[in-house]
Amino acid sequence: MVKRVEIRQSVMAADERHARAIRKEMGRRSIVMLNLIGSPGAGKTTLLEATLRKASFRCAVIEGDVATSRDAERIAAAGAPVVQINTKGGCHLEAHLVAKALESLPLDEIDVLFVENVGNLVCPAEFDLGEDGKIAVSSVPEGADKPLKYPHLFHQALAVILTKADLKPHVAFDDALFWNDVTGLNPKAPRLEVASTRGEGIGDWISLVEMWLRSKGEGR
Amino acid sequence: MHEMSLVEALMEALLEAFEKHPNWLRARRVELHVGRLRQVVPEAMIFCFDVASRGTPLEGACLDLVEIPLEAFCEACGHRWGPEDLVFFCPACGSVDVETVAGMDLDIASMEVEEGDG
Repeated sequence: MVKRVEIRQSVMAADERHARAIRKEMGRRSIVMLNLIGSPGAGKTTLLEATLRKASFRCAVIEGDVATSRDAERIAAAGAPVVQINTKGGCHLEAHLVAKALESLPLDEIDVLFVENVGNLVCPAEFDLGEDGKIAVSSVPEGADKPLKYPHLFHQALAVILTKADLKPHVAFDDALFWNDVTGLNPKAPRLEVASTRGEGIGDWISLVEMWLRSKGEGR
Repeated sequence: MHEMSLVEALMEALLEAFEKHPNWLRARRVELHVGRLRQVVPEAMIFCFDVASRGTPLEGACLDLVEIPLEAFCEACGHRWGPEDLVFFCPACGSVDVETVAGMDLDIASMEVEEGDG
């Protein structure tokens, strides 16, 4: 006999449970958790290094990469607790991987948790890790057409950061196109331009994170 | 290309349902609801499913992907509409306080199973 059964459950139900548990735990501890997403080479790790050097809040970092612990070594050298996740071919991080990484981080001693996702503008945008928000990181040399070509990430980003802004005089980059497209996709998101290696714009970024920290602390 | 990890999660959920129902013999058809905003390539999803289901009660089942249209809601004026693509301004009042209420779904809707006497 053939029978039709209703299931009505999310495909990612198991992982969504992990994401909900993480969000609850971070809420309880008033930790701001940010999921950094951008292409390979967009400058995500360099942005984090510059942030760690200047921030007065206490940070920890989860690094997601297909292979190697190079990014984690850079973050450790900058003085923050860090866990490296190797996805061994996986193009994005999932909440169950983050849940496991959290076990080895000193959550009692931090205010902000940065998750640097696998370098990729497509897949990481689809997966909830339990974060407060996704931060879209796009660099000047990648070109100004990225927001419209990868709309999902830019649409849901909590903030959009344009990195390597100091390279503008050296490459053809259409500022107006980039920011107009970002506005069209996500009018509410704060926008920042940074040159991480020179420390330019990092203060504004840190102020923004501090604002999220304050509003999360008040919401407790 | 994250269809394989979606299929892994799908297989896990479906096999769990089979474990709970020992009288189910095999699946004939699985219906998924896929929101229009989901970046899922149906051909890739079906290919991965065919590979991952080999040797399980789901082998040979038809994976049916039904697209769920976008639905947006304006928090400012209450306007509800079905845009064709990503839009972020309310066409009625111009507000940017727009929530996407449908279109990100990725749900297992139903399954057709062959039942034994079990």
